Amino acid sequence: MLSEKEQSILSIRNLNIWYGDKQILNSLSFDIQQQQVTAFIGPTNSGKSTLVRCINRLNDFVPNFKSTGEILFKGTLLGASTDTTALRKQIGMVFRKPTLFRCSIYENVAYGARISGASRSTSLDGIVEKNLRKIGLWSEVENILDETPEQLSTGQQQLLCVARALVVEPEVLIFDEPCGELDPIETVKIERLVRDLADDYTLIFATNKRRQAARVSDVAGFLYSGELVEFGATERLFTNPQDNRTEQYVTGRLG
Amino acid sequence: MNLYKNFYVMNAMSTRAERKQKIVLPSTPFFTLGIAAGIAVIPISNALKKTDATNIQVVSPNALSMLLNDLYIVLSVSLLAILLGIVCAFYLEEWLPKTNWVRRFIESHVAVLTGIPSVLYGILAISIFLSYAGTLKVINGAPAAQDTGARPFQRHTTLFLGEGLIFILMVMPVTIKTTQEALRSVATPVREAAYALGASQWQVLTRHVVPIAFTRMLAAGCRAMARAFATAALLIGTYIWHYTAETDGMSSRFLLFLGAALFLSVCSSTLVEIHASIYNSDSA
Repeated sequence: MLSEKEQSILSIRNLNIWYGDKQILNSLSFDIQQQQVTAFIGPTNSGKSTLVRCINRLNDFVPNFKSTGEILFKGTLLGASTDTTALRKQIGMVFRKPTLFRCSIYENVAYGARISGASRSTSLDGIVEKNLRKIGLWSEVENILDETPEQLSTGQQQLLCVARALVVEPEVLIFDEPCGELDPIETVKIERLVRDLADDYTLIFATNKRRQAARVSDVAGFLYSGELVEFGATERLFTNPQDNRTEQYVTGRLG
Repeated sequence: MNLYKNFYVMNAMSTRAERKQKIVLPSTPFFTLGIAAGIAVIPISNALKKTDATNIQVVSPNALSMLLNDLYIVLSVSLLAILLGIVCAFYLEEWLPKTNWVRRFIESHVAVLTGIPSVLYGILAISIFLSYAGTLKVINGAPAAQDTGARPFQRHTTLFLGEGLIFILMVMPVTIKTTQEALRSVATPVREAAYALGASQWQVLTRHVVPIAFTRMLAAGCRAMARAFATAALLIGTYIWHYTAETDGMSSRFLLFLGAALFLSVCSSTLVEIHASIYNSDSA
């Protein structure tokens, strides 16, 4: 029991979130274990994005955002005095739409190292190559590193976003519907990458495709209109759901 | 009917805080600026009344020196005001939350001040000029004949200080508003992507927001300068009309007036053109 507690990298207790007067999340509690893929499934507007954006504190920029409850990251309580910049370096994020900056492919990948104060001389080339190899994009972009990423396909751009997030050397990586804009072949690539990355990182994966969650995740949670209906091992959640709504969603009769 | 419906909906959902946000704060300029205008009316009307009573022929510097003086003031003061305005816009847009009452207060005033036509500012500037023109006689004290030498930047300090203040009042709101719009044009996903990689607010500003918004900020500066030049055209005309000696003759005074005003108007419209071309090239 104790060893299990030690492994949980992220604990959320009684999390409530409001945008203005509208309650988005309703008393959520769960633990996320290290080096596992935790997926959150649920229909549109069920609060998946809001939940994952809470973890790296991107919701701080939303006006009228209110929250109660506790988020513990590696045993430290996240509060108003938390250094969000340092936190976001430990918790990376990949968005639904690949948002690359208006500079070369090389500079996009090197961005995370640059903002931490690295210059080109300090083995920046090595960092870029290592991370591009890790995501399996190196051979494709090797010769066009100094060109803009606009010529790449959406899937390649999304992979580049993953590489860019990896350069910062995070411990947790959040994927917020990373395949929302991709075709099936590109989706397979991302899913395979997610499985590979699970060896080194703790991954949080929000998606509204239930089969995708079944393919990539170890643990899954079903969110329905702001409520965490069920949370547990993926296999059990999909084969033997405890809650009626989960069963309906998993079998495709709801959402 | 539609108006009534909206009003009804607004009433139904308005709490005390919402009323403050939606009605009280946006209507403050009505009172503050109204009172300011009320106070300003007295000296303005006094000054305008003096025009024919005091036939001031203090000095007669040549028209070129007047024009240079005016250009110097317009350029230096508007540059200062543009810089101040940009800093102010950054503070409002990037640091203060949308619901902050200071931000709402300033924004509503800025909106009203940008709406005031430049002719009204011109009248204000002329009245300051006219009320100081009388005292200039004492300050300068020199007979007109001996003071025709061109000393462009020495004379009329107080006078141009007043003019400078008016230009700040004119240029700053326009700059604040247009810069804020430029900053808002930087898409949220870009900011979020940078923040998610652990960039600090300062890094997001210098690496993303400023480079993306820069051309639009430049356009904002042009727009504000154009406004200043338009009023300067009005002012320079009045100065020349006022200062050039009667002996120059009616027609030459009129020509000078027309020439200077035209020159500044052309400057103004060129700036507007530059503004438009920058803006179009950026959004294309």
